[in-house]
Amino acid sequence: MPKLGFSTRIATALAAAATVAALVATTAVAHPAKHADTTISGAGSTFVQPLVSQWITPLGSAYGYNLQYSGVGSGAGIAAITARTVDFGASDAPMTPDQFSACNGCLQIPWALGAVAIMYNVPGAPNLMKIDGATLAKIFSGQITTWNDPAIAKLNPGVNLPSTKITVAHRSDNSGTTYAFTDYLSKISPSWASQIGSGVAVNWPTGTGGKGSSGVTAVVSQTAGAIGYVDIAYALHNHLNYFRVKNNSGKYTTPGLRGMLSAASSDQTPDSNNALSIVNPPAKFANAYPISTFTYVIVPQQSSKAADLKKFLFWAVTKGQTYGPKLYFAPIPKSVLVVAEKTIAKIHS
Amino acid sequence: MSAQEVQRSVLRVEGLARRKAVNRTMELLAWVSALIAVAILGIVVYSVARRGLPALNLDLLTKDPIPFSLTNQPQGLRNAFVGTLVIVSLATLMALPFGILVAIYLNEFAPASIRNVVTMVLDILNGVPAIVIGIFVFGLFVVGHGQSGWAGSFALACLMLPLVARSTMEVLALVPNSLREASLGLGVARWRTTLSIVLPQTIGGILTGTVLAVARVAGETAPLLFVSSFVGTKTSWNPLHALQSIPVAIFELSESPDPADHARAWAAAFVLLMFILFASLGARWLATRSRRKIMGR
Amino acid sequence: MSSAELTAAARRPFTGRRVQWGDLILQVVAGGAALAVTVLVALIIWKVIEGARLSIQTYGLGFVARVAWNPVLGHELYGAGSFIFGTAITSLFALLLAAPISMGIALYLTELAPTVIRGPVTALVETLAAIPSVVLGLWGILVLGPALGTTIQPWLHSALGFIPLFGPPTSSGASIFTAIIILTIMILPIVSSISRELFLGVPTELKEAGYGLGVTRWEVVRGVMFPYASGGIAAALILGLGRAIGEAIAVTQVIGGGVFIHWNLFSGGDTLASKIAASYQGSTTKLQTASLIYLGLILLVFSLVVNLVAQWIVRRSARKLGIVRGGHA
Repeated sequence: MPKLGFSTRIATALAAAATVAALVATTAVAHPAKHADTTISGAGSTFVQPLVSQWITPLGSAYGYNLQYSGVGSGAGIAAITARTVDFGASDAPMTPDQFSACNGCLQIPWALGAVAIMYNVPGAPNLMKIDGATLAKIFSGQITTWNDPAIAKLNPGVNLPSTKITVAHRSDNSGTTYAFTDYLSKISPSWASQIGSGVAVNWPTGTGGKGSSGVTAVVSQTAGAIGYVDIAYALHNHLNYFRVKNNSGKYTTPGLRGMLSAASSDQTPDSNNALSIVNPPAKFANAYPISTFTYVIVPQQSSKAADLKKFLFWAVTKGQTYGPKLYFAPIPKSVLVVAEKTIAKIHS
Repeated sequence: MSAQEVQRSVLRVEGLARRKAVNRTMELLAWVSALIAVAILGIVVYSVARRGLPALNLDLLTKDPIPFSLTNQPQGLRNAFVGTLVIVSLATLMALPFGILVAIYLNEFAPASIRNVVTMVLDILNGVPAIVIGIFVFGLFVVGHGQSGWAGSFALACLMLPLVARSTMEVLALVPNSLREASLGLGVARWRTTLSIVLPQTIGGILTGTVLAVARVAGETAPLLFVSSFVGTKTSWNPLHALQSIPVAIFELSESPDPADHARAWAAAFVLLMFILFASLGARWLATRSRRKIMGR
Repeated sequence: MSSAELTAAARRPFTGRRVQWGDLILQVVAGGAALAVTVLVALIIWKVIEGARLSIQTYGLGFVARVAWNPVLGHELYGAGSFIFGTAITSLFALLLAAPISMGIALYLTELAPTVIRGPVTALVETLAAIPSVVLGLWGILVLGPALGTTIQPWLHSALGFIPLFGPPTSSGASIFTAIIILTIMILPIVSSISRELFLGVPTELKEAGYGLGVTRWEVVRGVMFPYASGGIAAALILGLGRAIGEAIAVTQVIGGGVFIHWNLFSGGDTLASKIAASYQGSTTKLQTASLIYLGLILLVFSLVVNLVAQWIVRRSARKLGIVRGGHA
């Protein structure tokens, strides 16, 4: 007689495995119900990601929130919140009217203030070299191709610039940092404005693309002779040199807190969508860093998580700002804070 | 010998010398090729070990990541290790029964025409690039519902299925027909024959095939990028939400400019590589052993 | 009853009044699994087409040849041309490099190696295939790329820079060239293990006939083994090509990115698979997402064609050699 016991044994084994799997699945599903954790998920700007990352732990201990943030670029962040696949989106570029209507009842709230550093990897060159907008426009459009070009040398007398080829590093994804930088270049260089323009993505005539702020930083740090634009926190965190940029009063300023705050005072009135533009401030702001920018959080006005979102955002624009200075994010000015809080209060369920 | 004869014999010898030289060159090139392959393997494993071992510590498995950490707080990749464990386990649970059933059907029941068609379909499934599987599962389960760990498991199961089915078919075919006919001749029903006579013989082969399939998908990144990549830093065992996984973590860390991130990536890569190598080599050893056992009967 | 009648009775699920439910159930369940697999493949093809529909409707077949990828809002224009070029140039060059090395490995393992080391070395070569692509990509970004970018690429550029293939390199090494090397490493084990099996299958009588004529080993390989195994080798090469076409992760890590068609192997570019992997998460508009899936559809079509051609070659040469495919009667 064949071993009938064996097939019964196999059947029992399969049943046991299925039961175990079901048990594991139910415990896994039941797990979040027992936890007090509420998950608040967001996606978007890599510019603001260093600051948002600092908020994860304190938010967890203050309110028990599990903050999840994916740095996928400002453009993708707007797309994500439009599709409501996340609870909030983050963008350094203010939304266009088309994006507002697609988002269907979204609020745009400025929640951090930072600056775009122009970092470079030039062996032998010192940190904090000088540069001005016109030269930057020529470099990033491919008209200046080597580091010892007279335009750069003229601004930095006494510095030994090598003949290394300049490799431009730019964002390959839709980026609010690109928006801020190209906005600045368009305002400083009429030929840039007409030929390349500004936006979250442009047709870069030259250079290598990097994904996210990390990607651009990686290109610059790994390629001798590279130049790139990124939030100052990334340049600092990765020990990369960055330029002092000439502002309209003739001073060469650094992307530090003083430069940002001075630039921020050039536009104290957010428009109807709370957007502010502080690149290339007029000459009377003598200490301004000309490539500073606010960055925004985008939330739906109506959300099932309204109470938690409001708590999170109120915390972010007040207590959250104290985590900024170490990363060179200046606390948002009082006038902007007032507008932000008024807008946050509009969120309802 | 005449002068002509001497000349002819010298030419013949010279021809032989040239052909021998060509032969020796070709043999040398073949030897060099094998050396290149083994050398590449050695270089890659050595690179990963040299950079991964120093960064390998218990923190990697017991602590969650802290992005943009300003202090040197200990951090690790616990969320990725747990996530991979959950996702790959679920994928195996999904793929294994299906693979075995398909193999049983093709080997024991299917007429030749159906067998040819389904085998071709299995080969096609095996040839679909992993990134297209990712797009598929994204469109099927993520659009409108959000990412989840079990969608990742489903994607990996699609990749595992042809491997499990094929290896099960191979072992089933190795079971001698005489065994089946003896059982049927004794009046045992077909289904009992298959499940309690034929299948037990193949457990070793099925196990091998499964281990190889697990080794294959444990390192698979592309599909998970689409369906389980919007993750936080907290470790979670819940497959209803997106879970971090080791390959996606390595991918993200590899594109970072921060050397500390690179170090963690190397360490995770080392653990992943060791797991896969041991699983593959172990499975291969099991396979030779079980094959010998079946055919020896 | 005689044993023949017993057997016949046992084979039929419905025998007289006793219905063999077990047989029926197993056949239905197992058959259902097989049907599910077929449905799955059809579903994959359908879902990819559906995901790409917006882009197919907007651009039609012109998408395939267009060399553009402009995500600038308001001026969006997408096309697959530069990525098809990238896929072609990386896969074909990788195949070109991998083919002779794989043949050499297979020959060494079947003809030349001492028997003791054949097993271990075969296992080592196949282990190369087990390395996950993300690990190979990590190694590519941080080790291989910079090594190539600081040594071989500048050297080739200075020595052969007049050839457009060897233009100016970058020091990070992120380039089509590095991607080709990585793909070669990935193809090697596949092609060599299939070729090894093919060479093992060459009947010894044929080889001995050759040796009996006084020819050298290489001449036997060239005149007997290669022609005999030619169909299988072609299939192996095509399978390797399929692997290279579909590789997304390792390629996107090392290839540098770019939307141009140019011949400089030392600059960046993108393949169909690597572009999808790089841009998917950051996709902003529905049209961009649909266009990326359209790239995936083109990739799927290429892989299917490659796969089916390989299967056809295998079946044709198996028929030629009188081999019957497995399964039991």
